[in-house]
Amino acid sequence: MSIVDVFAGLWASSGLSQLFVADGWKNLIMIIVALVFLFLAIHPKFRFEPLLLVPIAFGILLANMPSTGLMADPAGLMDTSNVVEGAHWYNDGVLRLIYAGVKSSIFPCLIFLGIGAMTDFGPLLANPISLLLGAAAQLGIYVAFMIAISIGKITGGAVAFTAGEAAAIGIIGGADGPTAILTASKLAPQLLAPIALAAYSYMALIPLIQPPIMKLLTTKKEREVEMKQLRNVSKVEKIIFPIVVFIIVALLIPDAASLVGFLMLGNLFKECGVTDRLSDTAQNSLTNIVTIMLGTTVGATANGQDFIQVKTILIVVLGLVAFSFSTAGGVLLGKLLYLITGGKINPLIGSAGVSAVPMAARVSQVEGRKYNPKNFLLMHAMGPNVAGVIGSAVAAGFMLLMFNH
Amino acid sequence: MNINAIALAATNYNPSTVLEIPEALKVSVTGLCVVMFELALIACFILLMAKIFKIAGKSKKAEVKETVEAPKTAGTPLADGNSAGKLDLVDVDEPTAAVIMAIVSDQSGIPLNRLNFKSIKKLEDK
Repeated sequence: MSIVDVFAGLWASSGLSQLFVADGWKNLIMIIVALVFLFLAIHPKFRFEPLLLVPIAFGILLANMPSTGLMADPAGLMDTSNVVEGAHWYNDGVLRLIYAGVKSSIFPCLIFLGIGAMTDFGPLLANPISLLLGAAAQLGIYVAFMIAISIGKITGGAVAFTAGEAAAIGIIGGADGPTAILTASKLAPQLLAPIALAAYSYMALIPLIQPPIMKLLTTKKEREVEMKQLRNVSKVEKIIFPIVVFIIVALLIPDAASLVGFLMLGNLFKECGVTDRLSDTAQNSLTNIVTIMLGTTVGATANGQDFIQVKTILIVVLGLVAFSFSTAGGVLLGKLLYLITGGKINPLIGSAGVSAVPMAARVSQVEGRKYNPKNFLLMHAMGPNVAGVIGSAVAAGFMLLMFNH
Repeated sequence: MNINAIALAATNYNPSTVLEIPEALKVSVTGLCVVMFELALIACFILLMAKIFKIAGKSKKAEVKETVEAPKTAGTPLADGNSAGKLDLVDVDEPTAAVIMAIVSDQSGIPLNRLNFKSIKKLEDK
């Protein structure tokens, strides 16, 4: 064997050579995408959702390194197409094993536990009409669902989304990462990566997406409305609320029980006053640990071979449509309530109905102050904001009820 | 709205079903109605709960008022604008102390002539 043969063999078995054969260029593109995401997350000028974008971007990087086998599934735990005889679960790639937490819905539910422990439902209890704004701001889910179904008819089936795929894409409009991940993992696991990336990317871009829509749909007079101070909510009300909401939702839409159940359990930890340690763990350590594992493995599903396709671009566009219509839905109902209440409700708080706690509420506050410096809409916008979390979980539950058979 | 009826209708669907546009429209409208209905139901529950707590709070307040009103006659408030007791000012000038006392009175809703300040001390700047 000559030294040239040795080097040729080394080159052929290296990951580097894999990048330049067959579809290897797709991995190369994804590696560049991962590096751009890392730049956007870390550079002080951008800092786009770094707590999520850093693990997601690094997950993309890990999954697109050829021949590493980090997402390999020889045991066929999730993908039975490449089963190796005699392989055990522990022969699977480390990221594939962690990904089981996404696939089984454990991670999204645990994230909801943390969100519940961080959420104050006080503004919602003080102003229950917020719930309607949170419901109206789910409009984008159904609009995107409709458009996704129509694409198949328009293109004559050249690019078509199944009902499950369309439903999972629509949920991006709920502006709720864990809900989008849970729905996609059940209804369209093959589209999980683009859906999760679109959902989190648009959540980070809410301060850019929402203001033009809010301005377009409201008059200056409406934007200047000052809202009355909210009433004080008693501790007992805050304790009863999560228990009753869970019972109502679980009895009506059992498929939403997992998300809403964990959300309300986390909130009960926070409000009941006797589980401070559990609340603290759910808010901090647990959420951080799950975020690392969820972010990294969701990123790792973005393998170039599956990710780079026309559908991915369509998902990115449909996600933006969903976000825009959800914002519009909330603002339009806000306008209606402005008319019904004789100008007591500022329609700008409607846009906060798109979950994305607390960023969407902050946008309402910032926009409100632009037109009336005395305006303080943050607490009023937190009502629709947390209602949006419940609303998107219910909408996801409905989609699962319809298509998860 | 009967959710079970919707679920029964949905048994024909699975994630790989290719829907026709009218069917998709039906699913969309039903979905939005379900979300609206469910959140409206929760809103009704909150309103009901708030009403119950308001009534309970009113009766409690009335009880407390009765017990508090009795000793009211025992003490005699000072003249308007005065506060009781001796006040120590530590590194604070009198106009600043007056402003602080006025703010405390305003925020707590207790007239100045019923408040007793013991000392106002400036904390070290960090």
